[in-house]
Amino acid sequence: MAEQELTLLEQLEKESRAKQAKFIGGIAAKLGRQEIAKKPVHPFRGAPDFWTQLEWSQEERIERFMDNWQSVGGHAFHFATMEEAKQFIAERALELEAKHIIRQNQPELNELGLEEALPEVDIQVWNHNPAENWKAHAAGADIGLVVVDHAIAYTGTITVLSSQDKGRSVSLLPTVMMAIIPVERLKTRMGEVMTHFDGARREDLPAGIHFITGPSRSSDIENDLTIGVHGPGIVYALIVG
Amino acid sequence: MNHGQTQPATVKERSHIALNNEFLRKAVKFTTERLRNGKKKASEEHGNWEEWRERGKQIRLHTIAHLDYYLNQFVENARANGVHVHFAADGKEAVELSMKIAASKQAKSVVKSKSMVSEELHINHALEEMGIEAVETDLGEYIIQLAGETPSHIIIPAIHKNRYQIAELLSKEAGETLPADTSILAGFVRRKLREKFLEAEIGMTGCNFAIAETGSMVLFENEGNARMVSTVPKTQITLMGMERIIPTFADLEVMATLLPRSATGQKLTVYMSAITGPKRTVDGDGPEEMHIIIVDNGRSLQLGDPEFQELLNCIRCGACLNACPVYRHIGGHAYGGTYSGPIGAVLTPALQSNVAEWDDIANASSLCGACYEACPVKIPLHDMLVYLRNRKVEKGYGQTAEKIGMKGFAAIMSNSKRMRSVVKLGQIGQKLVVRQGLIKTKIGPLKGWNSVRYLPSLPNESFRERWDSLVQEVKNENSPMSEDIRTRMEQALKQRENGGRSHG
Repeated sequence: MAEQELTLLEQLEKESRAKQAKFIGGIAAKLGRQEIAKKPVHPFRGAPDFWTQLEWSQEERIERFMDNWQSVGGHAFHFATMEEAKQFIAERALELEAKHIIRQNQPELNELGLEEALPEVDIQVWNHNPAENWKAHAAGADIGLVVVDHAIAYTGTITVLSSQDKGRSVSLLPTVMMAIIPVERLKTRMGEVMTHFDGARREDLPAGIHFITGPSRSSDIENDLTIGVHGPGIVYALIVG
Repeated sequence: MNHGQTQPATVKERSHIALNNEFLRKAVKFTTERLRNGKKKASEEHGNWEEWRERGKQIRLHTIAHLDYYLNQFVENARANGVHVHFAADGKEAVELSMKIAASKQAKSVVKSKSMVSEELHINHALEEMGIEAVETDLGEYIIQLAGETPSHIIIPAIHKNRYQIAELLSKEAGETLPADTSILAGFVRRKLREKFLEAEIGMTGCNFAIAETGSMVLFENEGNARMVSTVPKTQITLMGMERIIPTFADLEVMATLLPRSATGQKLTVYMSAITGPKRTVDGDGPEEMHIIIVDNGRSLQLGDPEFQELLNCIRCGACLNACPVYRHIGGHAYGGTYSGPIGAVLTPALQSNVAEWDDIANASSLCGACYEACPVKIPLHDMLVYLRNRKVEKGYGQTAEKIGMKGFAAIMSNSKRMRSVVKLGQIGQKLVVRQGLIKTKIGPLKGWNSVRYLPSLPNESFRERWDSLVQEVKNENSPMSEDIRTRMEQALKQRENGGRSHG
């Protein structure tokens, strides 16, 4: 970082701290308080009680997730084993004539053996060599392959978290996204996923938490639905287990 | 207000332009109906919508009532996450801060995802003056940026353009003629903006919600451009209205239930991203440096104001626009400000606190209350429009003619003899202008009314004049009330006097 930049940031930081008291003090004053409020009692936190009771059986979660994912234009499949999922991915990759695949560096994918199944295809593993331009790798990939951290049946949503081994770009830049959902990570409600973040220690919170519900879309031109505007236009959800 | 183009001064003149543009009127009607039906279907399918609305309202009310605590908590947590937090009292300060950061990065190009706050600040203009290219990346925003216009709908900004106009705009960018085919046009934008994302030094975003307990900022979108803007460039600058706070991720579930369903009828937008600080050292992507500029720009004027504080509860879904019969006819540009529709009619004067200049958009409403019915956090917009009109009159910005008229009306109505003689005069005088029972002339005070409809004539015999004979008729026709009914009614009357329910 250039020295001039550092001093600007330091200066802005100083200004910010000086301004904070006035800015937030002004809000307190408008609300009729001498000083900033103490931690208030928070009576209506989160969803209404009747909602938090809702829990579907595994069968129903799978069915509803697949219905929802398909209704927004995604493709959804259910496999008993990872081996079946691997075969499906390999077949689709050949069918789509994929030349470049990028995948997260996750244990499930490392064990999948996709590299052996697709010897002709260039398969990159996210960030295994930090010196390379990984955003460019992802942007050039035909397929991005991820294992989701959570999934929500009620809305047909997958949740992916960023880390050293899990790039945000992998679920965003390729033309096609394939997401493997281990069935035990498929929950009924969004609230069940949120509890992981509310209680988390700061160091456990990832920089990016992304909820994805189908293919990228827009209706900005004459209300005409367009798929794949910036993000992947073809999205596969593969429930395993 | 300057959008870089001159526009007529009053909402009436601006709406005339809209009403004369048939495509615009049809497009607005079609879009708002599509969104409104989507919302209706989604909220019915979800069920218990009233309970969810009430919960949403409670969460927003609670957060705003303790905004000092929650905003402070958010700032401390965001800083601990490594975010540079800044405060801007007004638009000018927010722009200056953004420019300082952009200059220090020697940025040539900034990619932006949709942000209503940045529309408030006219930040693109400032960037361009510094020689920095500012590219809107939301498809609709990109189109209207190329056209040099402003958004006409909070959710569908280019609602007023047809595909041929869009093809023409994009063809100019492409340097070749593109057919007016939606998927081809969108495909061109995808390729074009990919380059821009990868070139830009800075990504600029808005902020739908900010979570106090974790210091995270949350973005809702469908295209993926906001994810691009917050993933690819090295520096991220987020402009955030100071009232965007919610306490926890648990509360985000409620907002995520209300916002997409109310905006477009979706169960959830395609992308909902919670970003907690810049990329971790070991991460392979995400911004290395992250700034959040917390903007007041008139918002604190509503705090502590019992009539308008609830405006800060707004989650910017646009449902009130789609529900509003006036918006559906005149479209967004007629409102003249950054925010249109019922929310804009209240928010624009409230943010700018210049009642005199902006009050006329408060009149662009029928006060039917459809906006309140549609609002997912139950903001009583129709009441606020009345308060706004009140304030205008109280501050002396009423019309002189109206004031004189009201005084005259009071003088006549408060005295029965005066009333009688005026009605008599009218009955005689109107003979000059009545044709087939209607008064069609546009002379004097009749002009405003008769321009769009006709005034019925005064009857030859008024209700007051008929009163005596009416009483006689009723007495003759009805047999006297039976004793037990009379007693019952008298009792009911007594009970009402003792504090029972009454009308009104």
